[in-house]
Amino acid sequence: MDWNTIFSVGTLMNTINTATIVILAGLGCLMTAQTGMMNIGIDGMMTAGAFAAVMGSWLFDSWLMGLVFAVATGLVFGLFYGVMVIRYKSDEFIIGVAFNIFAVALTTFLLRSITKASGSFHPEDTARGGSISNLPYISLGMSGGTPVNLSVMIPIALALVAITYILLYRTPLGFWLRASGEHPESLRSVGRSPDSMKYLGSLACGFLCGLSGAYLSLGYMTTFTENMSASRGYVAVACVIFGRSNPLFVCFAAILFGFIEAAGQRMQGIVDPTLTQTFPYIGTILMMVFLAVFNRMQKRKAA
Amino acid sequence: MNSRRTRYLTSLAVSVTMALLIGALIMLITGHDPLDGYGALLAGAFGSKRVIGTTLYKTGQLAITGLATAVASSSGIFNVGGEGQMYLGALASCYLGARLTGLSPWLAIPLCLLAAILSGAVYAWIPAVLKVKLKINEVITTILMNTIAIAFCKFMANGPLKTMEKGVNAGTDSIDKAFRFNKLIAGSSLTESIFYVIVISLLVWYLMSRTTAGYRMRMTGQNSRFARYSGLKADRLAIAGMLISGAMCGMLGMFECFSGPGGRFTVDFSKEFYFDGMLVAMIMQYKPLGIILMSFFFGILKVGAVKMQSQGIPSELILIVQSVIIFFMAAQEGFLTRIAQRKASRAVALTVRKDGDQ
Repeated sequence: MDWNTIFSVGTLMNTINTATIVILAGLGCLMTAQTGMMNIGIDGMMTAGAFAAVMGSWLFDSWLMGLVFAVATGLVFGLFYGVMVIRYKSDEFIIGVAFNIFAVALTTFLLRSITKASGSFHPEDTARGGSISNLPYISLGMSGGTPVNLSVMIPIALALVAITYILLYRTPLGFWLRASGEHPESLRSVGRSPDSMKYLGSLACGFLCGLSGAYLSLGYMTTFTENMSASRGYVAVACVIFGRSNPLFVCFAAILFGFIEAAGQRMQGIVDPTLTQTFPYIGTILMMVFLAVFNRMQKRKAA
Repeated sequence: MNSRRTRYLTSLAVSVTMALLIGALIMLITGHDPLDGYGALLAGAFGSKRVIGTTLYKTGQLAITGLATAVASSSGIFNVGGEGQMYLGALASCYLGARLTGLSPWLAIPLCLLAAILSGAVYAWIPAVLKVKLKINEVITTILMNTIAIAFCKFMANGPLKTMEKGVNAGTDSIDKAFRFNKLIAGSSLTESIFYVIVISLLVWYLMSRTTAGYRMRMTGQNSRFARYSGLKADRLAIAGMLISGAMCGMLGMFECFSGPGGRFTVDFSKEFYFDGMLVAMIMQYKPLGIILMSFFFGILKVGAVKMQSQGIPSELILIVQSVIIFFMAAQEGFLTRIAQRKASRAVALTVRKDGDQ
């Protein structure tokens, strides 16, 4: 095996590109986890966001409108999740799983209704024509003959990691948000409503998943394809569990996931590409097993 | 009939009606005539003897996957990984079905069935043990294991197990004709596998609602801590539930391939069938008899959707309708409680006002 191809600029870029999807979705998921809910429907929120982003970008020929569409869709779905779970006390796992199926079905239905072709969205296939405007990127020069480009969403995602961390652990609002998940009663006793904090958490989740979806279809890829999140939303949930809902640790877990996926792509010459695709998923499960065993050993040590 | 069941059935009827209306609305918005759409759906499910056969076949498939979800869920584990278990069961049984060519079907079919059961059950056992021993969330592990299993089967069917037969460009070697399930109605999907499906469904229904083991499972699923205090081995029951669930999915994988037109394993044999059944189970709150009955209703929708699709309405519409029903049903308890509370507080307000008047 050639280690130089695995640890190269290309792998580094692939790692960052893939990790960004999971970082944004993971931040969204941890906002619900911190407020005492576990939203496993983020995979669906990403898919919906990715579709909305392409629609906005195509209809107005502007990536900014794509971003606005994605975020708006994310917020609507976040609010919907909040109403179902907080107001009507629905089972969050059932809502989450149904949500993911709903989002894939709805986007596929709309895609096939608009373009008459299935698979992915191409403006040429529509009556209207036009084109998709993608997110801008920063050029970092050349490496090995290929240009190295950094999507603007990557620095934004890293900034959001810092922002959520500061928000959650250094501000009164963050304190109330975390309290609504851990000690809703004491929050109520100081005159704050835990429910409104939970709503804030699910809206923030929708917002961040919308961004993740927009990056997925307008940055990481350049159009929408059916079921394009490829279970990365579930990987993000795993990262949140692994990172104990702390933005910094979740970001670290997401980068680790990104590296496994990127390294897998580099090994395609040696291992069959169908099998290398499974590496990030196997890696995620192993990460969860490792964490659980580690926790158990620590507990035993304490006792 | 007790009032709780009446309330549940009323909610279900309202939810289904509302979801179908939302489906009609979506058709209107996307420029289709809803009456034409649902008309095509009915014609597609009942229009001829051929499609009625296919509707019955689909009903069986939904019942097996739905009951597989229910067995696991009612013992406390949410199995989202049935799709992967089904793929492995299909691949293992098809491999044997090709290798045992020439053997008596009386010996070969049980062996293939055993292979399907074992591969499905073992693959379901992994997330079950991780959940019970290490408290690792099974929803995430099972869904990720789906992707892994399907990729593995794809690799095997395109690589080491790819058929050398001329004129066939995808799949494993063909299963001996004597082992395959014969068609019951020509041109439809209905084959002899339906008899297996009926027996398995009845067995699972009996296990879940008529035996002490089923009662213990339900106790564990509803409240594992209480079950543990009352001396039930919750962990063991949860694993047993998952093993049965995985075994059922594995068998369904075999039925699909042994009934299919190709008579071999191909990677696209399932179109996320497991999730269709899982949705039915979720709608019926994991009640076995309800799942079997509801499978027929969704069998109609699913088979009819193919005809809708041929008229330009994507079949995903039915998946949308299904998930909307789940949203309604998941919220109904909380919704009704809120209405009851509001009524109660209004009644209190009224009496207070009356008291004030006096």
